[in-house]
Amino acid sequence: MAIEAPPAPGRAPGAARPRPKREREEEVLVWPDLVFVEFISAVLFTITFVILSVLINAPLLNRANTDVTPNPSKAPWYFLNLQELLLHMDKAWAGVLLPTIALGFFAAIPYLDRSREAQGIWFGTKYSVRITIITAIYAIFICGLLVAFDAGDRTKFEYATRWIPSCDNSAQHVGVPCLRDEAGAKHLGIVTTKDFSKRLQFSIPWPDALGTDDGHLDWPRDLDRIPVPFNNVDCCYGSLHLWKGMNLNIPDIMANQVIPLSTIAFFTVLIIYVLFRLGWVRTRRDVFITMFTGVLTAYLVLSLVGSFFRGQGQALIWPWEIKVDPG
Amino acid sequence: MALTEEPGKPRNFQERIGILQDRIYDKIFHNYIWQSIFRSGYPNTPRNQMLVVATNVFLHLHPTRLHRTHVKITHTYCLGGLTFFMFLVLTVTGVLLMFYYVPSVDRAYQDIAALETNVKFGLLMRNLHRWTAHAMVILVFLHMMRVFYTGAYKPPREFNWVVGVILLVLTLVLSFTGYLLPWDQLALWAVTVGHGIAGSAPYFGDETQLIVFGGYEIGPNALIRFYTLHVIALPLLAAIFMAVHFWRIRRDGGMARPL
Ligand code: HEM
Repeated sequence: MAIEAPPAPGRAPGAARPRPKREREEEVLVWPDLVFVEFISAVLFTITFVILSVLINAPLLNRANTDVTPNPSKAPWYFLNLQELLLHMDKAWAGVLLPTIALGFFAAIPYLDRSREAQGIWFGTKYSVRITIITAIYAIFICGLLVAFDAGDRTKFEYATRWIPSCDNSAQHVGVPCLRDEAGAKHLGIVTTKDFSKRLQFSIPWPDALGTDDGHLDWPRDLDRIPVPFNNVDCCYGSLHLWKGMNLNIPDIMANQVIPLSTIAFFTVLIIYVLFRLGWVRTRRDVFITMFTGVLTAYLVLSLVGSFFRGQGQALIWPWEIKVDPG
Repeated sequence: MALTEEPGKPRNFQERIGILQDRIYDKIFHNYIWQSIFRSGYPNTPRNQMLVVATNVFLHLHPTRLHRTHVKITHTYCLGGLTFFMFLVLTVTGVLLMFYYVPSVDRAYQDIAALETNVKFGLLMRNLHRWTAHAMVILVFLHMMRVFYTGAYKPPREFNWVVGVILLVLTLVLSFTGYLLPWDQLALWAVTVGHGIAGSAPYFGDETQLIVFGGYEIGPNALIRFYTLHVIALPLLAAIFMAVHFWRIRRDGGMARPL
């Protein structure tokens, strides 16, 4: 689109100028070169959107009614990824902490990657194109895998863990880890991560001196109400009153925080490590390309899953099976 | 044309038309009113072209010249500029919508429905506002990707990247606050999901819900808060940060270039 700059007046060879000659000659005038491009793209966008708006109407459903809950109800698409995360982990992490960390990470990129190399051109480092493509494919694949794992009954992923035995409900302490099944229902493997706190059971011998009363530490029974220190002190006001009476639910923390977060950390480190060993990730810039691409791809994939693969009760289904119950 | 000939005497039809054109041009562009608005004619010398960019209030966001590679479409794909253009379109269509919309639980839905059927071009304005809002969110992400993959956040542009991240958040929040305003089922329940997410903030969840949504469920308080944020507070903030953003591009020595 660049139009040859008209020769500037008084550009005699050797004349004194503020900047080196080469630099100046590489420059074009904003009017007309840039203003023209801006104008054309504005016109094209205007036309496109007017046509679009004539053809497709913005949605307007029934008047809002707090008594009638549509199923499923969904956030706008750019927040659907958070809604999707909510299904897989603790809500504070999914809805607030992880997005905050992601934004903080974005804001921090230029302060962590300060090299001046490879700026001002697309994909400036040697392997950045393949890093970007590989990471994007990897992130799509891993996100898909994790979403599928967490809907094990629908995706049949639970087959892989069927070998874990059913719990014997009459036994006092179950030595071998086992999965509790609903009464009368057939045996299932691990259906979602939440099963680690809800259905998984095991016990190990444990001295009573360390807090048990029957010589066994039972998962999850003995661990779901661990009082935090000083939770009986009456002191604080405002939000800190939450500390009072606070107990930790270790199995729940495991299933909703430790496992999901370490999974994210693990797959992030894994791809960086692999690309590093391949010799493709060579600078900090490359590390950030990997992470930025991964975060954005996950953002997009989770939004797409939320938009097109979640039906009533947020069950994982095919797009053509989605039926919205207006309530 | 022979130079000796007396001026002003047309020899044939074409010359007559030519003179007529000149007269019309003269009447339109050289009259008192026009010249009071535009202080000079079309800038057809490089010097005037630089002057017009430097002195025109709308154009002076630009530098007067820039590097050849930066006007290549494939360098920026105009993404930042188009994001800004979407913001302008949203402002115009948004102001038009404001004429017909009252942010009360009793009227909001009815106003939107009436706007679609009773107001000439009302539906078109609403559609434009809706689709350009989605486009702005998409474009701001694409713009951020463009900046990232061209390494344009590197020194000395670190802070402008941070301003960009703030603009990204503002864009998302602007879009989200607008989502509630039609007060239909889609709006209510989408925002209810967001309300739940805000409520899950550790320690400050309840406070966040109270401050941002005006209550523990979505009602009249939430509507008026979202409206005020959507039509004045956030656009103003966004405009301020955009001004800083554009100004910083120039202060940082124009757009990033290879060393
Ligand atoms: C409302 C949102 C935004 C608007 C209207 C906007 C507008 C612009 C414009 C017009 C440019 C000139 C070059 C171009 O068109 O690409 C630009 C450059 C830039 N933008 Fe944005 N931007 C926005 C959001 C962001 C975001 C989210 C980021 C990053 C997180 C960002 C970071 C930058 C940087 C670092 C530059 C300098 C690029 C260079 O030197 O090549 N901006 N922005």
